[in-house]
Amino acid sequence: MKAACRSALAPLLLALALAAASHPAVAGLLAGGGSRPLAVDRLGELAISHLALAGLGFLIVAALGLGLGIAATREAFAPLRAGIDTLAAFAQSLPPVVVVALALPVLGFGGPPTLLALLAYGLMPTLRGTVGALDAVSPEARAAAEAIGLTRRQILTQVELPLAAPGLIETLRTASILSISVAAVGALAGASTLGTPILAGLQNQNVSGLLQGTAATAALAFLGDAMLLAIGGFLTRE
Amino acid sequence: MARAAGRGAMTMAVSGARAALPRLAAALVLPLVLASLPLLHLAPNRLVTGAPISAAVLGPWLWPLLALAATGPALVASARGRVGAGLGLLACAGGLALLLVGLGTGASELLAGQPPAARARLAAGAWLVGLGLGAGMVFGMRASRLPAPGWLAAVAILALTAGLGAAGRLDALSLTVEFHARRDGLARAILDHLALSGGALILAGLVTGALGVWRRGRGAVDLLVGGVQVVPAVALLGGLVAAASAVLALLPGLRAAGLSALGAGPALIGIAAYLLLPLWRGLQGALRAPDPAALDAARALGLTPRQTLTALRLPLGAGLLIGGLRVAAVQALGLATLAQLVGAGGLGRLVFDGMAQFAPDLILLGALPVIALSLAAESALAALEAAARRRWPA
Repeated sequence: MKAACRSALAPLLLALALAAASHPAVAGLLAGGGSRPLAVDRLGELAISHLALAGLGFLIVAALGLGLGIAATREAFAPLRAGIDTLAAFAQSLPPVVVVALALPVLGFGGPPTLLALLAYGLMPTLRGTVGALDAVSPEARAAAEAIGLTRRQILTQVELPLAAPGLIETLRTASILSISVAAVGALAGASTLGTPILAGLQNQNVSGLLQGTAATAALAFLGDAMLLAIGGFLTRE
Repeated sequence: MARAAGRGAMTMAVSGARAALPRLAAALVLPLVLASLPLLHLAPNRLVTGAPISAAVLGPWLWPLLALAATGPALVASARGRVGAGLGLLACAGGLALLLVGLGTGASELLAGQPPAARARLAAGAWLVGLGLGAGMVFGMRASRLPAPGWLAAVAILALTAGLGAAGRLDALSLTVEFHARRDGLARAILDHLALSGGALILAGLVTGALGVWRRGRGAVDLLVGGVQVVPAVALLGGLVAAASAVLALLPGLRAAGLSALGAGPALIGIAAYLLLPLWRGLQGALRAPDPAALDAARALGLTPRQTLTALRLPLGAGLLIGGLRVAAVQALGLATLAQLVGAGGLGRLVFDGMAQFAPDLILLGALPVIALSLAAESALAALEAAARRRWPA
């Protein structure tokens, strides 16, 4: 328990520091005179819609990635394993910006192209991570579970998933970071996220807006990481 | 006896039907796509989607294309020997040529009599059938046991498209129009893109090498390169620009010397920062690759640390090292697209211009080379990685 808290503490503190840096007063101070920091209300609005978009994307990616990953490690789907790796390499070669840009004319402005980019970029690493974590479960443990007469479902829920938990949490951490990061790129497609003040700041040379968006996005990313680390520590406390 | 024979015939029939199913599916997919999805969009200008145009636009080319799009994939899917696969491959390649010629001719007929701003844009059906036939060529080449099927198919498709384009058969398609308008810019953008990603890769490699020498700081470096990954790329680039402008505000002399907060500098640093993690992991994995017994043996033989490094650690870790390089190279090519955010140019410029103008063809013109470069880097370095693992098995 203590170790769990300790590993989550560093990202949590970093998140708090970055959140403080994104406050208009601090950011205005950091950016120097003549800058136009965003008001707290506007920043909060953007942060909430950023979280909503990234959270929705994370849930979809996590559910699909874990589900398909569990399915892919069942015996019946063994022949598909080589295909998954090829597909994962292919999907990782498509940068999220490019997916957002290509989906823009088809899906229109806003959230949908961002979600598609997130799905295209996040699904395969999550799937591959799940498969890797489940593969790392020792065959002896599985054989022992079979020997004491557990059903397949019981083996999955009581042996494989608990033993694979550290690897699965690691995979979900990657997925959460990708979600927050791609949601920021979604500002290019007109989605209202914390990427919006960054882009506006780059275009108008508004350094404090740029700094606020940057710090707040990074704060969200570290916050999500801290949360998953704490959950992971709690689950694997024995 | 008779019953057993009957059962045997039945299982044969069942397994025959099971084997026929994928063949049937392979034969039906592309013709169904051709029949159901629009091949082109006819738009009054380059910024709107326009009206969908069905496969009838192919005119006399439609029926031979349908025949080839059905037989090619079916032959490839069912091929047992090299002859069948080769025939399927040829059918797919012929189908692709017919598709391109038909689309070019159909588009020029559609545009005849239209105002000059009208565009004939490739639609979902054309992309899907083209992709399907291309994939058929790759699988056909693999089944014919040709070397490097992916590369061979890519070269064949590029040569086909370039040949038809040079002959002017594709001039009516809006992507070609956009290409002609941006030809010089495109070549420049590809070179800039390669320079940006290559430069960032070299920078990150140098930093990783320097950090690798610093033994005691390994834990700190682990935290640092992992922490960078958590920061979204858009945010990191923004933060670098903010930091650079703060430095320039403090030291106005630097600005006078020609340094700027925007441009290639922050882009290179930003991209390189993300490449540290895969390179670092590759390096650490490579250094740990030989097992302790082998290292003990090397020491017992009297090898110096340098000899151990070059004769033992690097060859045994080459696969892991190249694996890290592969991930880093693909990431560099993708991230270089974002570099246009800070005004560094590259293919991102076309993509961002296209998004700003809402011109889908301009987006494609920038995005297709990014995808092609990433896939080329991925498959080339994956082949190198596999070769290294074969040459020095762990």
